[in-house]
Amino acid sequence: MVALADTPVLAGDRSIRARRVAFGLAGLLLLTSLLSLSHGASGVRLDLVLQSWLAGHDVPARDWLILWEIRLPRMLTGVLVGASLAVGGAVMQGLFRNPLADPGLVGVGAGAGLGAVLAIVLGGQAPAWVAAWLGWNMVPVAAFMGGWLSTMVLYRVSTRAGRTSTATMLLAGIALGALAGAATGILVYVADDRQLRDLTFWGLGSLGGASWPKIAAAGPVMLLALLAAPFLARGLNGLSLGEAAAHHIGLPVQRVKHVAILTVAAATGAAVAVSGGIGFIGIVVPHLLRLATGPDHRYLLVNAALLGATLLLLADLIARSIIAPAELPIGIVTAVIGAPVFLWILLRRRGLVDL
Amino acid sequence: MLTNRSLHASLGRTAVLHGITTSAAPGRIVAVIGPNGSGKTTLLRAISGDVAYDGRIALDGADLADLKPWELAARRGVLPQAATLAFPFTVAEVVRLGLTSGTQADRSDLIGRALAEVDLTGFSGRYYQELSGGQQARVQLARVRAQVWDPVVAGRPRWLFLDEPVAALDIAHQIGVMRVLRRFADAGGGVVIVLHDLNLAAMVADDVWLIHDGLLLDAGSPARVIGGSALAEAYGCPIVANRLPGPQATFVLPHGLWAAAG
Amino acid sequence: MIRQIAAGLVVAVALAPTAFADTPSRVIAAGGSVAEIIHALGAGDRLIARDTTSTFPPALESLPDIGYVRALSSENLIAMAPDIVIAEHDAGPPEVLDVLQRSGIALVMAPQALDPDGVAAKIDAVATALNLPDAGAALQARVAAQLEQARIAGDALPRSPRVMFILSMQGGRLLVGGAGTSAEAMILLAGGTNAVTALDGYKPLTDEAAIAADPDLILMMDRGGDHAVVLADIIAHPALRLTRAAIDQRIVSMDGLYLLGFGPRTGAAALELNTHLRRLTDEVKG
Repeated sequence: MVALADTPVLAGDRSIRARRVAFGLAGLLLLTSLLSLSHGASGVRLDLVLQSWLAGHDVPARDWLILWEIRLPRMLTGVLVGASLAVGGAVMQGLFRNPLADPGLVGVGAGAGLGAVLAIVLGGQAPAWVAAWLGWNMVPVAAFMGGWLSTMVLYRVSTRAGRTSTATMLLAGIALGALAGAATGILVYVADDRQLRDLTFWGLGSLGGASWPKIAAAGPVMLLALLAAPFLARGLNGLSLGEAAAHHIGLPVQRVKHVAILTVAAATGAAVAVSGGIGFIGIVVPHLLRLATGPDHRYLLVNAALLGATLLLLADLIARSIIAPAELPIGIVTAVIGAPVFLWILLRRRGLVDL
Repeated sequence: MLTNRSLHASLGRTAVLHGITTSAAPGRIVAVIGPNGSGKTTLLRAISGDVAYDGRIALDGADLADLKPWELAARRGVLPQAATLAFPFTVAEVVRLGLTSGTQADRSDLIGRALAEVDLTGFSGRYYQELSGGQQARVQLARVRAQVWDPVVAGRPRWLFLDEPVAALDIAHQIGVMRVLRRFADAGGGVVIVLHDLNLAAMVADDVWLIHDGLLLDAGSPARVIGGSALAEAYGCPIVANRLPGPQATFVLPHGLWAAAG
Repeated sequence: MIRQIAAGLVVAVALAPTAFADTPSRVIAAGGSVAEIIHALGAGDRLIARDTTSTFPPALESLPDIGYVRALSSENLIAMAPDIVIAEHDAGPPEVLDVLQRSGIALVMAPQALDPDGVAAKIDAVATALNLPDAGAALQARVAAQLEQARIAGDALPRSPRVMFILSMQGGRLLVGGAGTSAEAMILLAGGTNAVTALDGYKPLTDEAAIAADPDLILMMDRGGDHAVVLADIIAHPALRLTRAAIDQRIVSMDGLYLLGFGPRTGAAALELNTHLRRLTDEVKG
């Protein structure tokens, strides 16, 4: 941690190291993105396609389709969702001053899940114009609305006279989560056999349904959240001293909290909407980065976006190739890899208050 | 100049301050004393801008209510009673948090200087959470000092509001911290400090505010307040004040034990 | 550059519909009854892959598995270069089906079947897709004859026994086939009556409702386990043990795809179930 002692930089200042890690992660993400674009069961090779295209040759329509309609949307969705999940987790943990906080904790995930289940189970009974208008996007849109709505309710409940109480918010989140869970349970009872299996698969998460219309629907929301996050960095750093001290060092605490809540809702709601329940990215990625370069959010948020995107792309590569021609739900991959890593982190840090 | 005019404040539904009017001048150290629950901390939180209040607080001519958080941060640093930290920051990173706002965001040199001032040179690379309570308290003080390093900026004084900054410290570091505050005040900065230790208050303060039941019971020099009769009334027990022969400093000893024994 | 890629895309889409042959030779089946029909049409050798639910005939299991029929993978399917994907009505996700079609792979969704007409329509859809009209007609006729035989046998029952289909009884909790399920359709086809009509779909049933339903026969899916164990489970179940079916030990298990797939073997399955019902009514009569 103090490897920079031979430089004029003060020991304990990890900013240079964090910046180096950021560059490394950006390179890694670039590589993984290229890998994701060039790897696939069809054997279509990005480099060859681009080569022959640049040389003016005709590229087979099928190859274009695979690159442009399957791999590219899937890669972009993976990057956006991975980055959003990791950043959503990091912002939430900063807001709650708890490294174990997760968007699932405040009911955002449960609310989004309820929205999705509603669309899956009752979507068939929606008015024709709604169905025509939303088409395939009914589930993602409903999930996003659910996440958004639950955040709003949560906010109303836990905010008094412009001040948000973290404890109230946490407890209200638990209550909201239980409520959304109960509503989901009722819907599951109403659901038929096929819908039930849909729910199971949606719950496990997948990038398999990635498409340009989905990116067009949820991409801007995720992008907005990702762009807003760096502006929260100083605020979240300050909040780690507590709300009072954050105010003392000059931060507009209430505004920081509002923006953080909106960012979490947007990032998590949109990500869950597009890809279903993908666990552990939001909690493992920020955790690993805090171990590597410290909790300074100026670097943590950027690095979390990069590492989250990279890890999700890698998980997707595994998910789509390990049992080809079938495909594993990506949530299974992230859980199988993420859960042991998380346990390992807990074991290693056990006994330390900072956890 | 820090002035409070008929200051009322409540915690929840309980009224804590019942109208306090007082003022503190830069260049001097004000010690706020009083029994438990008298309202000392609430008073400090009010002038720090942490709690809602009725009345008026002005800091060097500006109404506290009109100042934005970052404008406040440029004028005063606050050390709360219980400082917490959520994530595994290093000591250097904690002190850097004091540079979040204001004119000195790029003055990284202040981190080392503030740490040296509280006798923590060489600790910058350590994890905050792995330090002792007393060391943590000094790191927090260094953070606050870094925030308002120069006691006077552009002719306007800066302030330190501290709540029990030395409660966890050994006697040598208590003295060390008091010296830091003394230098800050002597250079033109303002200091308001809540203290339990009457002897320490008598030693370091230029002025003393005695708070009792949310009211200002007495104010003035240590000799006057700590040596006066209001003290025993506020604390509800006999207190004997005396003066050291050399520097003529006031000191007190609780009287009750001997009284009971006698 | 984006514009040029988009232009390439337009070309791709325009080319797509002409890309497949009249008589497809590389076929992927997504759905158990569809695979069964393809095989019964004598086109089993054209199959290059199948989904997880395609388990009959057993020879299919040596083909690559494309996964669960509602979670297909677009590039993996395209990579197998099929001429056509023939899928059950509930295949998905829709994005994947869309991309499949645009890649020039023909996609045929077989209609859902819950009665003899449905089975005929399903066979017709598959036979048309494979350009096998004669084999299709022959299979239709054969299956229709069996179904008719089952219908007659069903009508011939002196009374209509009450049948309860139990999808699972994990941890003693009953999950049964209610109204509108393929299980109910099969029970009706065999001449029985669904004992549980108060529920829609496959739903958990409370113990007391199970006692009240009082089926004459309990129908289950054969999960490859020992039938005696299933029997013992039911006899030991606090609610089921009180039903007529358990007292008389009338518990039938049949292969899931055979029983509920509504493919070519549906007539045979209905007849088999019917013989169980017949034995029951005869015994009670005698």
